Amino acid sequence: MFGYVRPYRPELKCKDFDLYRATYCGLCRCLRRRYGLIAPLFLNFDFTFLALVLWEAEGQAEFCRGRCHANPLVKKTMCMDSPALELAADESVILTWWKLRDSIKDDGLWGGMPARLLAGLLRRSYKKARVRRPGFDQSVKQCLEELETLEGEKCPSLDRTADTFARLLQSAAPNEGEQGRILGQLLYHLGRWIYLADARDDLAEDLTAGRYNPVAARYGPEGDEAALALTMDQSLGQMGAALQLGEFGCRKVLLENMIYLGLPLVQRAVFDGSWAQIKKQKIWRNDT
Amino acid sequence: MRDPYSVLGVSQNASDEEVKKAYRELARKYHPDNYQNNPLADLAEEKMKEINEAYDTITKQRAGGGGYQRSSGYGGSYQQGYSASGSSSYAQIRNLINAGDLATAEQLLFEINQRDGEWYFLSGSIAYRKGWMDEAMQNYSRAVQMEPNNMEYRQALAIMQRGAGGYRPAGYGGGMDSLDCCTTMLCLNCLCGGGHC
Repeated sequence: MFGYVRPYRPELKCKDFDLYRATYCGLCRCLRRRYGLIAPLFLNFDFTFLALVLWEAEGQAEFCRGRCHANPLVKKTMCMDSPALELAADESVILTWWKLRDSIKDDGLWGGMPARLLAGLLRRSYKKARVRRPGFDQSVKQCLEELETLEGEKCPSLDRTADTFARLLQSAAPNEGEQGRILGQLLYHLGRWIYLADARDDLAEDLTAGRYNPVAARYGPEGDEAALALTMDQSLGQMGAALQLGEFGCRKVLLENMIYLGLPLVQRAVFDGSWAQIKKQKIWRNDT
Repeated sequence: MRDPYSVLGVSQNASDEEVKKAYRELARKYHPDNYQNNPLADLAEEKMKEINEAYDTITKQRAGGGGYQRSSGYGGSYQQGYSASGSSSYAQIRNLINAGDLATAEQLLFEINQRDGEWYFLSGSIAYRKGWMDEAMQNYSRAVQMEPNNMEYRQALAIMQRGAGGYRPAGYGGGMDSLDCCTTMLCLNCLCGGGHC
């Protein structure tokens, strides 16, 4: 939901990078076809990851050429629609909607204005997505409510708060069969990792503003960077172990790149503060 | 049964050496050590079994049916779960954890008032299975503190302390530090085209 999950380009083969890009563009196309012009504006790297893991293993990617939504003068290679891509598109809309709702609540009357405006634009898309995936919408709503309660109580347990967001992401995978179990475990720890990375990223800001921050609540004002990094590493380890058990076909290499190289790099950047700059880059560059 | 060659991901004409290499790599990947107390351990165990059978079949075929014994050391039995020790309720809790019924296990554990090393160890195991790594760390540390000589507790803690360690496919080993400045320059050059390789 925050653009943390991206590939590390220098270690990707061209064909794998092309596949990544085609998935990104394909998801954009799918959002446009299902939801119109607004929804594709919210596309980000994390949703692309979701599309990649949800893809049927045997499904050979079919490509087409199409005009880029952001720049209609350019034609790009895109993945054709598939059930997995549609699932990822629907879930992206739902996740974006709830993230906007969250910002509106957090940022007050004036600060929340941009989010309120965007939510207004997205409302119709969200209503469509909610009808298509009622189960996912319910679980996102419920998990965020639990999270809000815990944050209100200033919960000192890192795991308990992260668990809500982890379960939220876990519910993005269809819960059936072996592959479903594997995806559930992978997405649970991705959600946990994202929640912790985001909490660490907001730490300084939250401390200044006197807001609740789960990392500060767990490790105190002094903080314990090593312990936080270790617990995040452990989630990365669990993700790697789950990835190796699943069937991901030609997307395996791309997913390995993201989990073994991309996420650790982002984690390092979040800890040393360079993330604020890097996250604005369109493509994960290697000059860090 | 699936074709043993496709299980190992090699062609029928692969040399003995290639077969062995493929087998070793897969065995390293699905080794029980990488999935200890992991909620997906049963799936890894199945994979391991499949790989072992495929390798045995191929070596037997190639040895002309002569009773060939697997020579490498990856027989690795999965230490499926924990061996019961101590009180009977701990044994019951261990069984529940192994069966994946974490809610009941947790409930039973909290009914025990006497909190010794094993209590903290089991509490850590439940947390680990749930994915609550921070609490698992704390509980394992506590268990080791209370009973420093217990190898089971120490091993569980050691696995957690290695962080993201464990299996990595070739090429993902050293992380970013393995990139020297030359590769960085080369990569920058190839990035300029905006990905139109």
